[in-house]
Amino acid sequence: MDVLQSLLIPIIDLKLLGLIALGTFAGIYVGAIPGLSVTMAVSILISFTFSWEVYPALALMIGIYMGGVYGGSRTAILLNIPGAPAAIATALDGYPLAQKGLAGEAIGIVTVVSFIGGFIGILALALFAPLLADFAIRFQPRDYMLLAVLGILLVGSLSGDSLVKGIFAGALGIGLGSVGMDPLTYTERFTFGTDALRSGVSFVAVMIGMFGISEGLMQLHTVNTAAVKQKIGRIIPSWPLVRKHLPLGLQTSSIGTVIGALPGTGGDIAALIAYDHATRVTRNPEVPFGKGAIEGLVAPETANNAAVGGAFIPMLTLGIPGDAVTAIMIGALFIHGLNPGPMLMVEQPDMFWFIVSALGLANVFMLIFGLTGIKMFVKIVEMPRAMLLPVILLLSIVGAYAVSNSLADVYWMLGFGVFGYFLKLYGYPLGPVILGVILSRLLDDNWRRAIISDQESLWMLLKGTLASPLSLVLFVSVVLIFVSKTPLWGMIFRKKAG
Amino acid sequence: MQTTQPRRPGELVFTIIMVLGSLFLLWSAYGISGFEALSAPGAIPMVTAATMAICALMILRDTLRRSPVTGEKLERDILPMPVVVTIVMITAYALLLKPLGFVPTSFIFLTVMIRYLARCTFARAVLLSVVIVAVIYLVFRVVFTVLMPAGIVPEAEIIAWVSGLFAGEGN
Repeated sequence: MDVLQSLLIPIIDLKLLGLIALGTFAGIYVGAIPGLSVTMAVSILISFTFSWEVYPALALMIGIYMGGVYGGSRTAILLNIPGAPAAIATALDGYPLAQKGLAGEAIGIVTVVSFIGGFIGILALALFAPLLADFAIRFQPRDYMLLAVLGILLVGSLSGDSLVKGIFAGALGIGLGSVGMDPLTYTERFTFGTDALRSGVSFVAVMIGMFGISEGLMQLHTVNTAAVKQKIGRIIPSWPLVRKHLPLGLQTSSIGTVIGALPGTGGDIAALIAYDHATRVTRNPEVPFGKGAIEGLVAPETANNAAVGGAFIPMLTLGIPGDAVTAIMIGALFIHGLNPGPMLMVEQPDMFWFIVSALGLANVFMLIFGLTGIKMFVKIVEMPRAMLLPVILLLSIVGAYAVSNSLADVYWMLGFGVFGYFLKLYGYPLGPVILGVILSRLLDDNWRRAIISDQESLWMLLKGTLASPLSLVLFVSVVLIFVSKTPLWGMIFRKKAG
Repeated sequence: MQTTQPRRPGELVFTIIMVLGSLFLLWSAYGISGFEALSAPGAIPMVTAATMAICALMILRDTLRRSPVTGEKLERDILPMPVVVTIVMITAYALLLKPLGFVPTSFIFLTVMIRYLARCTFARAVLLSVVIVAVIYLVFRVVFTVLMPAGIVPEAEIIAWVSGLFAGEGN
């Protein structure tokens, strides 16, 4: 099947087109409503689309992902509550604009620049992923092992206030992923002699518990907070306004794509780095940053949407997820019998081009839905959380049950939900847990392949790592992440500064 | 690597549980294949559990050093009543799902939760629950073809009866 034919699949199949539109529409609301997250929605959705064919299931999930990343900005602007972590930077200037009665204008420009950012990310995916996949075929098992460690470490170090807690969470995830029979030797691991654990812990139950139930329980702390009402004026931004901010938007889109493509980093980090970039390159903003600067909206929103396309690059070419959402997307691909990695591009290029096309369509739908129906949207966002939360919890329970019609999965989900709730309360990031679960198989398999090919010798493995430029870069990156978080790093730089 | 935030209620107990849990996992991982070989099935589980144990001990040291937060209470800020009620309700849902079935269990769950959290009238909670359960049932049964336990609701007979009505109209 050639590229054009694969690209056309979601365009000519009205069912797929409808699912992408529906997913994007739902994603905008999911991303926007505080208490709902894209991660939560996609993890619940996996269980419901379990029996679907792969194209419709992916179409819906891609729509939700794309719409959700954008949707987070809505509540950041309207309520000063970022609907998603990727919209934290958007609230800094978005909410001051809303307080001035310019919420409509802010949403309008955010929608247009999100579309531009999304488009650049998808373009980068289409251009660079095939090149990276060609390169990745030459990766050694130790490179995959180091990439998996790097991904977990990056998420661990960037998503919480403590690297130690991040590493603990990542190791916990790898441990959870190891539960069950070892696929190579059929040795039992962490089963404690129980039959229920021989087939492993249900990945979907862990995900729904960690992201659905625990988030729902956290939201109960502020369940009766009254919604802030905002006035909506003009929405569609003028062309001169868009043109004026286009150069900055292009720069921050590139930043977003690159950051998104790094294993372990996602839209939230991309948005913060882009915001920082904007504050440095914008000499004289019309309104100061933090008080309603348009540049403060353009930078994070182009970057976080560009990061979507970027995040698919390592996910599809290396099988390494960029963040929690792409980790869940990888889980979905596994469930549907696909194996993300360099061979996906060789064996099923139609799947890759279908994803590119679906992302492109979701981006267009995001623009259409983003510029329409905002007044209705405001009403829905103001819906009391006390009524919304029981529905989310019910959907989570149904989702966990539906995977294998097993009540045991509901108990697992509840257990992980309560555990995830405490982890969150005490400052442990949950992203590395899910990344660890997803990457544990990749890490374990490649470690064993690498050490067997080096005759069970750590010294030979180290020698091989230092001799290969790629392995060396990955190894140094892993070491640097560790060292950068230790007092040693501070001592070196204080000495230099001194 | 240390956090500077004060220690929250229950954090010390949670950290101690993490330490003990990690040590137990390390012991369990050692039991898989011991130090048989670097490529043995227990190698990664041992490294993982050892990493968890080291991190948990470091977190414990950090937690002990931090002073307790003032003004926070376990029953108000960590385990407030809505959280406890929700956990109990989910457990009750799982227990009742098979014997009662999806529709009645979901209806009871939603009515109680909406009534409790939103503090609205009983009639409103019932009405909302009926509408939400109907929508969820139709969407997930029809669109997603998810099979849920029928329980006391004669679902097959109702579906056959509705199908019969449409078949009768067609004749």
